[in-house]
Amino acid sequence: MTAALEPIVGRYVSFDIAGKTCRVYFEEAGSGIPLVCLHTAGADGRQYRHMMCDSDITSRYRVIAFDLPWHGKSYPPEGWQDEEYRLSTELYVETVLAFCDALALDRPALIGCSIGGRIVLQLAHLHGERFRALIGVEAADFQEPWYDTSWLHRGDVHGGEVCAALVSGLVAPQSPAVHRHETLWQYMQGGPGVFRGDLYFYRVDGDLRGRLEGISTDRCPLYLLTGEYDFSCTPEDTLRTAAGIPGAQVTVMRELGHFPMSENPRQFRGYVLPVLDAIARQ
Amino acid sequence: MEIPSVPAEESRGAQLARRFCRLAPAFSQPRPVNLDMLLRFGAHPVLVRVRDGRVASAEAPSLPLPSCDFALRASEDAWSRFWESVPAAGWHDIFALSKRRELAVDGNLQPLMAHLQFIKDLLAVGREAQA
Repeated sequence: MTAALEPIVGRYVSFDIAGKTCRVYFEEAGSGIPLVCLHTAGADGRQYRHMMCDSDITSRYRVIAFDLPWHGKSYPPEGWQDEEYRLSTELYVETVLAFCDALALDRPALIGCSIGGRIVLQLAHLHGERFRALIGVEAADFQEPWYDTSWLHRGDVHGGEVCAALVSGLVAPQSPAVHRHETLWQYMQGGPGVFRGDLYFYRVDGDLRGRLEGISTDRCPLYLLTGEYDFSCTPEDTLRTAAGIPGAQVTVMRELGHFPMSENPRQFRGYVLPVLDAIARQ
Repeated sequence: MEIPSVPAEESRGAQLARRFCRLAPAFSQPRPVNLDMLLRFGAHPVLVRVRDGRVASAEAPSLPLPSCDFALRASEDAWSRFWESVPAAGWHDIFALSKRRELAVDGNLQPLMAHLQFIKDLLAVGREAQA
């Protein structure tokens, strides 16, 4: 066979989240320390495909990226048609922990971007003992809104197109066109109202300012990586957050925006590999 | 003969407006976009008429009080930074500009949001080519 076969394998696993059975799709590659990957709002686990094909990572890590229910290839739970999707802090934490339990992962490392970065902070606050290390990408305890999310789901504007067009400015201008547009394609593919439902957690429910006391980075190291071109979660937002968490290690990444692992994987690996090296040495 | 002095800032806005008016008519995308957009480069207005996904005209309004669907205005400095070949962080997108209060958007936002990437790409035509 001469075709380029990637090492990524996809499977489904069913487990209960908040009393509802969810059939969750995940992809994985590599072996070693489990590394659970959380995608951004309105997207799916494909954002981590480059890390799953990087032998400098997969030689030491079992990289696992799952699609949140309602996203990617994970259906919404039964009865979804009668409810409005809204991600809450509590539901998000429960989802991450239930996925780790379902796969019987022993103190995995975890990386999350954007809303995934925000929930990393809450996991560090409440469940640090369950993780080997936590990596928040584009993570902050709060960030100032910059548009009205009602535009994301209404009858006279195409939801996929406006989601992609809004976030397109969060991609750094240096990011290669092929990766920029692949990143945006995921936003065009999201289900109606799902991006907006994710942002309920971001904008309404998940303000963590003043609620992150007691994080022990001795017990569970916390790394925060933020792209300089991210004007949604700005470097200043991350630095402010880190200033309140003793031991948090912050890096502002040059020539990257809000989707580092997806928009410019080559540039991102220069920042994430040293973090993964440090975690592997723990 | 005495040459009347022109404030440097005003001439810069006029230059930016001229640049946009020269480059915008070549812009088109295959989608049914029909709207009128008013841009202000500092004090210099440009009325852009888009018909069937093509820029039908981009010129200074011939009369006061031009009607439009929506308007975007920013200072000469903000437009200049936005149009750098590789803009600095925070100056690279219209929403980055609006978040830092450097760009104002007024009017009916529905046509803007319905064709947002089209408008973003059109506004970027003034960007200097990358070396």
